[in-house]
Amino acid sequence: MSAGRQIPRRRRGGNRATALSLWVFVAGMVGLAFAAEPLYRTFCQITGFGGTTRTADAAPRGMADKLITVQFDANVNIQLPWRFRPVQSNVKLKPGQEALVFYEATNLSDKPVVGTAVFNVAPFKAGPYFNKIQCFCFTEQVLKPGESVVMPVTFFVDPDMAADANTADVSTITLSYTFYAADDQSKAARIQADRGAPSAASDSKS
Amino acid sequence: MSDAAAAHDHGHDDHHGAPAGWRRWVYSTNHKDIGTLYLVAAMVSVLIGGVFSFMIRLELQSPGLQYIEDLQFYNVLVTAHGFVMVFFFVMPALIGGFGNWFIPLMIGAPDMAFPRMNNISFWLLVVGLLLLMTSALVAGGAGTGWTVYPPLSNATFHSGAAVDFAILSLHVAGASSILGAINFITTIMNMRAPGMTYHRMPLFIWAMLVTALLLLLALPVLAGALTMLLTDRNFGTTFFEASGGGDPIFWQHLFWFFGHPEVYIMIVPAFGVISHVVSTFSRKPVFGYLGMAYAMAAIGFIGFIVWAHHMFTVGFNVETRAYFVLATMVIAVPTGVKIFSWLATMWGGSIEFRTPMLYAMGFIFLFVVGGVTGITLANAGVDIAFHDTYFVIAHFHYVLSIAAAFGILSGFFYWFPKMCGKMYNEGLGKIQFWLMFIGVNILFFPQHFSGMAGMPRRIPDYPEAYAGWNFVSSIGAYISFAASLLFFYIVIQTLRSGEKAPANPWGEGATTLEWQVPSPAPFHTHDQTPDMRPQPAE
Ligand code: HEM
Ligand SMILES: [Cu+2]
Repeated sequence: MSAGRQIPRRRRGGNRATALSLWVFVAGMVGLAFAAEPLYRTFCQITGFGGTTRTADAAPRGMADKLITVQFDANVNIQLPWRFRPVQSNVKLKPGQEALVFYEATNLSDKPVVGTAVFNVAPFKAGPYFNKIQCFCFTEQVLKPGESVVMPVTFFVDPDMAADANTADVSTITLSYTFYAADDQSKAARIQADRGAPSAASDSKS
Repeated sequence: MSDAAAAHDHGHDDHHGAPAGWRRWVYSTNHKDIGTLYLVAAMVSVLIGGVFSFMIRLELQSPGLQYIEDLQFYNVLVTAHGFVMVFFFVMPALIGGFGNWFIPLMIGAPDMAFPRMNNISFWLLVVGLLLLMTSALVAGGAGTGWTVYPPLSNATFHSGAAVDFAILSLHVAGASSILGAINFITTIMNMRAPGMTYHRMPLFIWAMLVTALLLLLALPVLAGALTMLLTDRNFGTTFFEASGGGDPIFWQHLFWFFGHPEVYIMIVPAFGVISHVVSTFSRKPVFGYLGMAYAMAAIGFIGFIVWAHHMFTVGFNVETRAYFVLATMVIAVPTGVKIFSWLATMWGGSIEFRTPMLYAMGFIFLFVVGGVTGITLANAGVDIAFHDTYFVIAHFHYVLSIAAAFGILSGFFYWFPKMCGKMYNEGLGKIQFWLMFIGVNILFFPQHFSGMAGMPRRIPDYPEAYAGWNFVSSIGAYISFAASLLFFYIVIQTLRSGEKAPANPWGEGATTLEWQVPSPAPFHTHDQTPDMRPQPAE
C-alpha cells in the first residue's frame, strides 16, 4: 500500500443505478413466479404432464391387441351443491377402440348454478395417450334447481400406448372429474331473472 | 446483548463515535453494529429452535407418546424448528451477521452502500420472528412442516390464522433478505478498494456475492408462491386447489424452485468462511483460487435446475426423473472441486489446530458425509423408498444443521477476536468443538439407520423396532445441547474476561484486510480507502 499514490475516486450515483437495476430484477422474478401459473397449465396440456388428457377430433386409426380397463371417478367441490356420479363404474376396451360413457349430475339446491369440471387421468403417464373426442368438460353446464342431466364422454386410448415402453405396463386407467362452481355465473343469473327471483350468482361463488 | 454492547464500547474512539444507549442499536446504520445485531438475533433464534428440537428428541427418545399428547402440537414443533433454524438462525448468522461485519472490512469500504436500508433489513427480520412466534400461539399453530404443502396448508386443513401468520412471517423475512441482498451486491460491485478486481476478491466476498444473487433469484418466487397460497386461503382463488382448476403439485414446483437454491444460500457463505480459515491455519493461500470462486458460481447456477429431486414421488414420467437425477449428480462436480481444493490447501501446509480450524475440518468431514447421502437420494429409484424417512433427515442435517452450523462456529471463533477485541480460551474452545462434534454425530448418524429401516419423518410415535437408534439419537441431542450451552458460556466468558486480542491473532496466514485494522475493529474503518493495486516494480 504505497502512500504516495493517488487513490482513484469511486463513481458517484453508481450505487443507486445498481440498486435500481437489482430492484427491476426482483420485480421481474416476482412476475415470473405468477407467469408460471398459466405456463404450467399450458405445459401440462401440451405434454400430457401430470395426467392431463388430450383432445382429438377424429377416431383413431388402428387398434392394439390388449384389453385395458378404464375406471370412472367423480368429485364435487364442497362449494357446489351438486350430486355428480359416473353412470357406469368402468369399461373394458382395446386401445384404439372408441367408447361412449355417461356421467350424471343433479343440482340439489334451489337456485340455478353454472358448473365446470376439471379432469385428469391416473397413472399420469397415460395422460398423453388419453384422447377425448367429446366431453361435457369442454363447456360449462347450467343446471336449474333440482335438474338432472346425463352427460356423454366419447374417448379413445391411443393404440401407441401399448407400443411405448414407458406405458406398455398400463392395464388400468382412471379418468377423474371434479365439478366446481364456475367463475362466470351470468348464465345462472339470467335464468334466475327469467324466473323472477334473486340470483344465486353471488352466494354460489366462493 | 448488553455484554456485546459493552465489549463494543472500547471500539469507537476515533472522530465521531456511536450514539449512546439504545439509540445506538435501534437506529443503527453502522455495518458492524448491524452485524452484531444479526449475530445476537441468530443466537436468540438458535436457542428457541434448539429448545424445539430438544422437545422433539425428548418425545422420540422412546416409542409411544410420552410428553406430547396433542399431535398437532408436535407438528407445530417440527414446523417451527425448521422455520426458525433456516430463516432466523443460519441465514442471519452467515449472511446478515458475517456479511455485514466483513464485506466492508474485507473489500476496504467504509460501510455498506445503503446503511439505512441495512437497518430496515435487520428490523424486518425481528418482525418476521415475532410473526412466526405469533403463528405458533394462535389457532393451534401452523403444523404444515417448513415446506407448507397444500392441501395440508389450505383453509380446509388449517382453517385458523396460524398459517396466515406463518406466511406473513416468511414474507417479511424474505423482504428483509432481499433488501440485504441488494445492499450486498451493490456494495461488492461498486465499493471495492482500487485494485481489488473480481478475480482478486477474497473468497468470502465471492461467496456472499453468489449468495446474494441466489437470494434475488429465489426469494421472489417464494414470495409469489406464498401470495398465491394466501389468496387461496382467504380470497377463494384456486392456484393449488384441484377442485377449482389448480394443482397442489404446482406449489411443490414453486416451493422447491426456491427451496433448493435456498439450501445453497445457507451453505455457500460457509464455503467462503471455510476457505479463509483453512488457508489461515495452513499458512498457505487457498489452492486453486479461481476454481474455488467459479465452483461456487457453478453450484449456484446448477442449483436452479435440479429442484424436482425433492419431488421424485409425485409421479413424473421416467424421462423427467432421469433428467433431474442427472442434473442433481452434476452438482457433485463443483462440490468435489471445493473439497479437493481445501484438502490441497492443507496438504503440505504447517497446520495449526486452533478451534476455528477444528471446526473447518469438521465442516469438511460432515459436508462430505452429507454430500454422499445427497447423491444417494438423488437416485430417483432409491428416493422412492427413502423419501420422507429419517434418511432424508440425516442427509440434510449433516449438510445443513451441522455442516453449515460448523461453518458458523468456525467463522465465529475465527472472527470473534476481531469483533470484540478479546481472545476466547483456546482450551475451552477445543473442548467445545469435540463435545459438539461427538454430540452431533451420535445424534444424526443413527438416523441413517432408522431411515433405511423405514422410519417416517414428522411422526412422534414409532414401533418398538426403531427404539434402539432413536434412543442413541436422543442421547446425542443432549450432548449437542450441552455443547451449545458451553458455547454460550465461552462467549460470555470471553466478553467478560478474555485477554486483549492483537490486530492479527492468527499470524502470517491471515492476509485479508480485516486483520490490518485494530481489534476490536473501530467503529469506523477504511475511511482512507486502502490501495490494493499491484505494487509497481521499482
Ligand atoms: C451433493 C449435493 C446434494 C445432493 C445431491 C442432494 C440431494 C438431495 C435430495 C435428492 C433430496 C430429496 C430427498 C427427499 O426428500 O426424498 C435432498 C433433500 C434435502 N437436502 Fe440435499 N442434496 C445435496 C446437498 C445439500 C446441501 C448442501 C444442503 C444444505 C445445506 C441440502 C439440504 C437439503 C434439505 C434441507 C433437504 C430436505 C428438504 C425437505 O424435504 O425438508 N442438501 N437433497
Ligand atoms: Cu435440493
